[in-house]
Amino acid sequence: MRNRHHPSDETLAAYAAGTLDPGRRVVVASHLERCAACRGFVRGAESVAGVMLEDLAPAPMSSEALARTLARIDREPVSAAKAVAARLDEPDLPACLRPYDMGPWRWVGPGVHMRPVLVPETGKMRVFLLKGAPGIRLPQHSHEGAELTSILAGSYHHEGGDFLAGDFEEADDNVEHRPVVGQDMACLCLVALEGQLKLSGFIGALLNPFVRL
Amino acid sequence: MDGKPLGTQDYSRLIVAVARHRDRAAFSALFDHFAPRIKAYLLRAGTDPALADELAQEALLAVWRKAETFDGARATAATWIFTIARNLRTDRFRKEWRDVPAGDDLPDTIDETAAPDETLSDAERGERIRQALRQLPPEQIKVIELSFFEDQPHAEIAQTLGIPLGTVKSRIRIAMAKLRDIVGDLS
Repeated sequence: MRNRHHPSDETLAAYAAGTLDPGRRVVVASHLERCAACRGFVRGAESVAGVMLEDLAPAPMSSEALARTLARIDREPVSAAKAVAARLDEPDLPACLRPYDMGPWRWVGPGVHMRPVLVPETGKMRVFLLKGAPGIRLPQHSHEGAELTSILAGSYHHEGGDFLAGDFEEADDNVEHRPVVGQDMACLCLVALEGQLKLSGFIGALLNPFVRL
Repeated sequence: MDGKPLGTQDYSRLIVAVARHRDRAAFSALFDHFAPRIKAYLLRAGTDPALADELAQEALLAVWRKAETFDGARATAATWIFTIARNLRTDRFRKEWRDVPAGDDLPDTIDETAAPDETLSDAERGERIRQALRQLPPEQIKVIELSFFEDQPHAEIAQTLGIPLGTVKSRIRIAMAKLRDIVGDLS
């Protein structure tokens, strides 16, 4: 099945270039795991970056650099392949989450749970899993900056369209939307959010003090 | 190596020589060519010179370690080495937290189903990209370069180039469309 909503070209190019902060990167990576079209674009952008790397004016290395590197090679064990222990304690999470620890699931509203993903050095970005029960209307919210959402399972819809598993939503500040989770199953998303999430409305006012990710 | 310029095709072969025979001469040639370019890339990304030197050595060490995983049919030597340098750059912060192998959280962007045109050689692919880039107006190349190498927010690019923010945004949009054309022509 083809995904209908993708990261912007600029976000994909920044991913290829390695200039995305770790928070955005992991959310984009979770989309790339499922989207061949976006992988193709990223791979092409990497080829362009490779050509640009070749054409950069070389910066001379320190005089001992090669000798030191060769000396390190001599100390290399024959097989340096190192397996990373899987940290995922629930199935069906994207492989890109493997290196990270996660906090506990927390109740943040009727039918809504969040689980922080502990991505270091994300600056102002927070990364978390968000789970909404079938048919639940997520609390109306706005945010102070960008919000990237990768839909891992289930679906939601709002004024901007229908978002299914494998889709990606990129929203900037001033967007105020109120997604409704599809009726058939719970919706699981991986979210990178800049700044604080601000819940509005009566329930939001009650919950805001507790939503500190 | 006697200082003769090598075609890109030869760099792929050098990586294969490292993979198959642990060939130190081939590795040294790769080092001489790519380490100074990776250092230049890291300097442009704002890394301080001592660290850039160290990370460029680290990148070439990764080339030695990962040479078996290089597939010349899918990526050029320069592209493969770029992704190694990029992953080192982006993992640098995380490594201070925890020892995770570089690039481990990145999905394999090499697509199993859609292999690039096998009839296109390593050097030809690079040349095709160069030609496409040459056809772009310089200001668009500048924007692509800034976004690839310098991690600047739009406002800073506007300041660097001395143009309004709106112009930066529209140039990026156009540059990204061009990038998509170039990438589309590769497959």
